Amino acid sequence: MPRITLTHVTKQWGSFIGVNDLNLEIADESFITLLGSSGCGKTTTLRMIAGLETPTRGEIRFDDKLMFSSEKNINVPPAKREVGFLFQNYALWPHMTVTQNIAFGLETLKWKKKEISERVAEMLQVMRIEPFADRYPAELSGGQQQRVAIARTLAPKPRVLFMDEPLSNLDAKLRGEMRTELKRLHKDTGSTFVYVTHDQLEAMTLSTRICMMNEGVLQQYAPPLEVYNRPANLFVADFVGNPSMNIVNARVVRPGRGTAELEVFGKKAVFSSDEDVELPSGDIKLGIRPEFLPISREGDLEGTAYSTLPAGMETTVKIKIGDTILSAVVFGAIDYETDAPIRFSITGSRILIFNKDTGLLTASGSVQIL
Amino acid sequence: MSQNAVNPKRRLSNALYAVKSYFSVQANVLIVLFAVLLLVLTIYPMYSVIRSAFTVGKMEAMRYNTLMHLNLKEGDWTLLNFEVLLGNEFTFWRPLWNSLRMSAYASIIAILLGGTFAFLITRTDIYCKKFFSAVFIFPYIMPSWTLALVWKNVFANSQVGTGVVGMLESMTGICVPGWVVYGIFPCALVMGIHYAPFAYILIGGTLRNMDANLEEAATILQASRGRILRKITVPIVMPALFSTVLLVFSSTMASYAVPVFVGSPGNFFVLSTQLSSLYKNMSSRGQAYVMTIVLILFGVLLLGINQWFTGKRKSFTTVTGKSGQVSYIKLGKANVAIAALLVVVLFLIAIFPIISFALESLCDVQGDYSTLTLKYWLSREDIGGFAVNAGHGILFNSMIWTALWGSIKLSLIVSLIVGTCGILIGYAVARKRGTRLAGMVSGLAFFPYLVPSMAFGAIFLAVSTQLTFLRGTLILLVIVGSIKYLPFASRSGTNSMMQLSGEIEEAAVIVGASWPKRMLRVLFPIQKSSFISGYLLPFISCMRELSLFVLLTTDSVLITKLLSYFDEKAVTQMSNGINLLIVIIVLLVNFATNKLTGASIDKGVGGN
Repeated sequence: MPRITLTHVTKQWGSFIGVNDLNLEIADESFITLLGSSGCGKTTTLRMIAGLETPTRGEIRFDDKLMFSSEKNINVPPAKREVGFLFQNYALWPHMTVTQNIAFGLETLKWKKKEISERVAEMLQVMRIEPFADRYPAELSGGQQQRVAIARTLAPKPRVLFMDEPLSNLDAKLRGEMRTELKRLHKDTGSTFVYVTHDQLEAMTLSTRICMMNEGVLQQYAPPLEVYNRPANLFVADFVGNPSMNIVNARVVRPGRGTAELEVFGKKAVFSSDEDVELPSGDIKLGIRPEFLPISREGDLEGTAYSTLPAGMETTVKIKIGDTILSAVVFGAIDYETDAPIRFSITGSRILIFNKDTGLLTASGSVQIL
Repeated sequence: MSQNAVNPKRRLSNALYAVKSYFSVQANVLIVLFAVLLLVLTIYPMYSVIRSAFTVGKMEAMRYNTLMHLNLKEGDWTLLNFEVLLGNEFTFWRPLWNSLRMSAYASIIAILLGGTFAFLITRTDIYCKKFFSAVFIFPYIMPSWTLALVWKNVFANSQVGTGVVGMLESMTGICVPGWVVYGIFPCALVMGIHYAPFAYILIGGTLRNMDANLEEAATILQASRGRILRKITVPIVMPALFSTVLLVFSSTMASYAVPVFVGSPGNFFVLSTQLSSLYKNMSSRGQAYVMTIVLILFGVLLLGINQWFTGKRKSFTTVTGKSGQVSYIKLGKANVAIAALLVVVLFLIAIFPIISFALESLCDVQGDYSTLTLKYWLSREDIGGFAVNAGHGILFNSMIWTALWGSIKLSLIVSLIVGTCGILIGYAVARKRGTRLAGMVSGLAFFPYLVPSMAFGAIFLAVSTQLTFLRGTLILLVIVGSIKYLPFASRSGTNSMMQLSGEIEEAAVIVGASWPKRMLRVLFPIQKSSFISGYLLPFISCMRELSLFVLLTTDSVLITKLLSYFDEKAVTQMSNGINLLIVIIVLLVNFATNKLTGASIDKGVGGN
């Protein structure tokens, strides 16, 4: 299984830049998600790695072997890269049965007849689609088609498996099931998975590392929990997590190193971090995850219930404080009357300070309201 | 007792209410209206054909009586027409065999030419795609006999047929053998080239709509270009390929003008030419109707095959995903060569005909380019000619202008009727989709497609012998033209209406827009270009039509009829000149409509 390295990869259509100077290293046997909203360049990146799209500049390596280099004029065709690709719409061939679809790639590789039928039978069994072996794609449901597509992709045992939003055409329940199975599949096959999605939950739950992109530029490349806990900038902070992180205007009134005095929600507060970081005075953005805003009678802050969204297991409470509306999450089902006063506080050591101008993460620490 | 009295009354009022509320929906009114109209317009003619095939006319009765010592009277029911025709090798079996062969070859030629062209345009990075694509449609827009005439102009020589000297002989002295000039070879080739654009439009449309991922999935699985083409692309394009074959096959079976121009002079006869000559003879008219039935049965058979083929388990409808990212095959160094080859081919089949007509119309001595003269265009005196009173030069010839105006008038009326009916049928069928009535209407609207033009003309001739007030009138021509061209208009109307979700109209219903307003202000503007194509196609088809009207009019009513008259009389300068006029008018109309509205002929037949 190879390590995939992208260096200074850029894709341009005329003056439009799809992917801008991307550097990325995908470790062997990892499960990488390319995350971002539509048009951010994630699919283009995937297609460039697979060889379906030609980058304008840069280099792509599988291990130490050059797959693409604009300088050296190397472009290994997709067929020679020995990768698997799972398309968003499955791209099953409508004129072939399930068996024929799965066997196609093996026939191309000139496998022996017996090996082909064994491998097809194995894939049918692994994907639990044996009853549909002789059906045509049009006669299958979305989830079944999806399984066939996975079976077809995995049959030739690709070294790397690329997936382009493979679950987006499924309903919510099936999506959940397939997520579980994909994660198992990754362990069982030991292949490298590169996965494109716009669903932050999918990225969080599946991957070993998330590659967060925006407007063709890499935002952060880190394990899911790091992306969640220490988002590199405001964009990532806002994109990952549901409900989204509360981004609040605040001001450093007394600067310091590791510790500083803030003004937030019209109150004085102390921010203290374990990190050795300079906190200069001026406007900042404070990032607070909804789970760090516990509601209790003893809370230091007071707002009103703007709206309550109980979901059964947990409840999202929208709290209005001044001109700001915050999201807080409470375990269990509670229903507050609209506009009822609510007291809450800020807890935990993972409250984030972002630079107001650059949007970059400055520090992570705790906030104590004075 | 009161119960018995009230119930029927109530039932009646309930029924009336149901009827009233059913007809308060415009789509219901339309679908019932068209169902009735189409039933009358297809069943009545069919009845009169079958009747004429199974009965004898006055002349036929006399003939059969003298030949077979029978005692038949006019209008007697008999199977004799069938027996005589089907027992005759020279009027039926040989022409049938010829028709089948010609149609098969033409289909192959059309598929090869059009399919290759479609592949080049949609899957490779060949130069000047737009230009090629526009010019490749020419042979279809031009009348089918155009190329037949060109063929004659070039290859006719002193050794064959009427002995008129063609371009090749007059320039090089070479006389090509007879089978090249007349017979199955030029017939099939000309029909094949004429319908190649059709193959391009249908196959190209499928290729363009085909999800690029289907091919990429195979690329990833390490299949070679050739294997992808064989195993993925061609099978998926198969339905389009198949309907092209059926279409070209049945159109060629029905074609009349081409075999007349480059078949008959070489004693190559096909069903349609035989039909015409059987028809012209009063004592064999019954046999002509028998042949009509045979031609219709062939149409039904072909459609049946098509239905069976497309109705199979494999659904070829593809979910479109992130397409449009098709990677073109890079032709590299071959690009210039292939493009150059295309230029030559397109010049020969699309541009050269026009030049040829112009030149031929200028030769005082046919085929001799040293005798150029403007006489046939500008002369204000009688041209003379071999056996005819040709009248003045083309531009001052009142007969030609009358016929030209007649054709334009007919085409305009027909296209207005057909285009509008197409949209309304499309609307009704789309709104009532899934109902039996909708299925019936779209089936009936497609029926005329199965009936060869020539036979269609014959059918309505039979009708007009019974409804004598129609005989020889413009109304008859309008009716015939309107029904004959309805299939494509209703199909394109249905396609574009199906693409509009019902919600688009419902949104207008909610704000209280009346039905005409919804049609004119909402639905029509959205699908404007494909609707206008629905008007354009009948106009062009009608303008260049000969076989449909040939039995129904006299020589001077329509320009195409006049053209064939001049050709028969061997005044080729005049027939070429008229042909040039028709081609220019048709191309201009197509070009102008295309520029003004974005509509085009390929949209009319289902391309994108």
